[in-house]
Amino acid sequence: MSTVIEQIEQQIAKLSNKAVRKNTGIIRTVADGVAKIDGLSDVAYNEMIQFPNGVIGIALNLAADEVGAVVLGDVSQLKEGDEVSTTGKLLSVPVGKALLGRAVDALGNPVDGKGPIGSTETYPVEKIAPGIMARKSVSQPLFTGIQAIDSMIPIGRGQRELIIGDRGTGKTTIAIDTIINQAKINKVGAASGDPAFRPVYSIYVAIGQKNSNIVRTIAALEAAGALEYTIIVAAPAADNAANQYLAPFSGAAMGEWFMENGMDALIVFDDLSKHAVAYRQISLILKRPSGREAYPGDVFYLHSRLLERSARLDGKGSLTALPIIETLAGDVSAYIPTNVISITDGQIFLETDLFNQGIRPAVSVGLSVSRVGSAAQIKVTKQVGGKLKGELAQFRELAAFAQFGSDLDAKTKSQLDRGGRIVELFKQPAFNPISIELQAVTIYALQKGYYDALDTKKVTAAAVSIREFFATRKDALLTEIRTKAALDKDLEAKIVAALDEWKSTYAA
Amino acid sequence: MATGKPQIQQLARQLFKLSFVDGRLSNEQVAGVLAYVEKTHAANAVAILKVYQRLVAAEVAKGSAVIEHAGPVADATLSAIGTSLSQRYGRPVTTTAKANPSLLAGLRVRIADDVYESSVSGQLAALSESV
Repeated sequence: MSTVIEQIEQQIAKLSNKAVRKNTGIIRTVADGVAKIDGLSDVAYNEMIQFPNGVIGIALNLAADEVGAVVLGDVSQLKEGDEVSTTGKLLSVPVGKALLGRAVDALGNPVDGKGPIGSTETYPVEKIAPGIMARKSVSQPLFTGIQAIDSMIPIGRGQRELIIGDRGTGKTTIAIDTIINQAKINKVGAASGDPAFRPVYSIYVAIGQKNSNIVRTIAALEAAGALEYTIIVAAPAADNAANQYLAPFSGAAMGEWFMENGMDALIVFDDLSKHAVAYRQISLILKRPSGREAYPGDVFYLHSRLLERSARLDGKGSLTALPIIETLAGDVSAYIPTNVISITDGQIFLETDLFNQGIRPAVSVGLSVSRVGSAAQIKVTKQVGGKLKGELAQFRELAAFAQFGSDLDAKTKSQLDRGGRIVELFKQPAFNPISIELQAVTIYALQKGYYDALDTKKVTAAAVSIREFFATRKDALLTEIRTKAALDKDLEAKIVAALDEWKSTYAA
Repeated sequence: MATGKPQIQQLARQLFKLSFVDGRLSNEQVAGVLAYVEKTHAANAVAILKVYQRLVAAEVAKGSAVIEHAGPVADATLSAIGTSLSQRYGRPVTTTAKANPSLLAGLRVRIADDVYESSVSGQLAALSESV
């Protein structure tokens, strides 16, 4: 018996001494984060390349006699003539729950100073999106906590909803609010002990942003208690273009882990305009042919393959994507905005004019749409807010028309008055998402005319007062609305009674 | 004659293809190519020949293996490696021995872009990467 064991040991020793084959190349030039390499005859597209001093890169251009690779690290450590070798691996990042509450770079390395990440599993950064058969239609809601969105432009789990607008219109705020709302819902769900409850984990990918902005976002999430459910993938403006190009794909890989393991996740790409710019830079340095606005021909595929990875899988979980695009002077017909609009399942358009008028979130109801529509809404939201979008659109039309004349008939006046109240009701401060049951109550109060006696400007304050009243005194009723998720006569009577009670105590 | 970089590369590749006889690089053909370039007085002759040289050097390297060793190596070992590489690459491979004490022990064989590492220094490097 011992002879057999010796034989096995000898075989193992023989195998472990076996020569290791490496395919190598020599750096010919290094410039702007891109290396041109001679050799590497066996390298595959997107394969990781090992540079000296532990620096890694990715092969992006395979030509007849040279390889173009982006360097993911300190380029200053590399020089002409250095030897590089293939690794036989695709770029992978750590995944799993160990990443929650952490800030990592595009390669999954921690950048928050909280020590190493205890993750054992990795996922490839580039992955083919799930096919048709694996998918399921979007039908479960993902509440943003923003009244204007949840009631008029509902988002479902597995949907891709674009947030688009000029700079300084509150795009990031909407994304952060949504992340905070997921954390709030997760906490309520965990406290309820409901075994059917599915928490939503969030991934926030910051691309080409100022470090100070990323710190502010992390602080906002931490202050709201949402960081523990969130992974931050940071590729700030100071990072090289390769890292900025990779960060969304790394974030998607982290999100896919939740989706593949039967959980729900939300990913925010902030923003894909800067991502396209980083990719354009890489492509130009790699001397790829440039097209419109100097973007390479595959810039559409860049975003479509990224966003297609968000899905709701049959029998598994979901990955919801909120990509952000920054427009210039409200021009949604520019190249990158039209690309991403056509890929996503709808968009939330934010207008500078509305923002400056104090209507925040500055959601333009006319230009915003959710292609999933009411399939991703719970019944109570449909019941109380089903007609709001039409009413608000009518109001915008009439308001524009009413500017030219003062003599208006009673019906038009009442429509304008009602529209004004809806606008006021939807005003909401930043980082203050509202639970769906409280949204239902405040909108129900609007439908039943509880704000009609008030001056339009006082509607926002009244709505805040209703929410405070219900949150402090009618907790059982809110729980009932949440669990039933639909209005019946009994529930309606209870809400009316509670609203009457509020009205008797409220002094405008 | 070729003016831009792509044209230079294309011409050098064409000349490189002409340097083969029965799938093998031929010394006579290479000499013929050099004579042709000299005769035509090409404006970018230097640039074309540099690209051509790189292509020829890469091709020559496919048939020549450098065996780096830390200690003494028997001739039989060198020839065994040469035979094995000839079989693997499907072409005659000549071997050249080169002493390299930094390997500590073992061998490193370099043929074209491929490196076969079976040295102590290589194993230590792999170990340090995995830790």
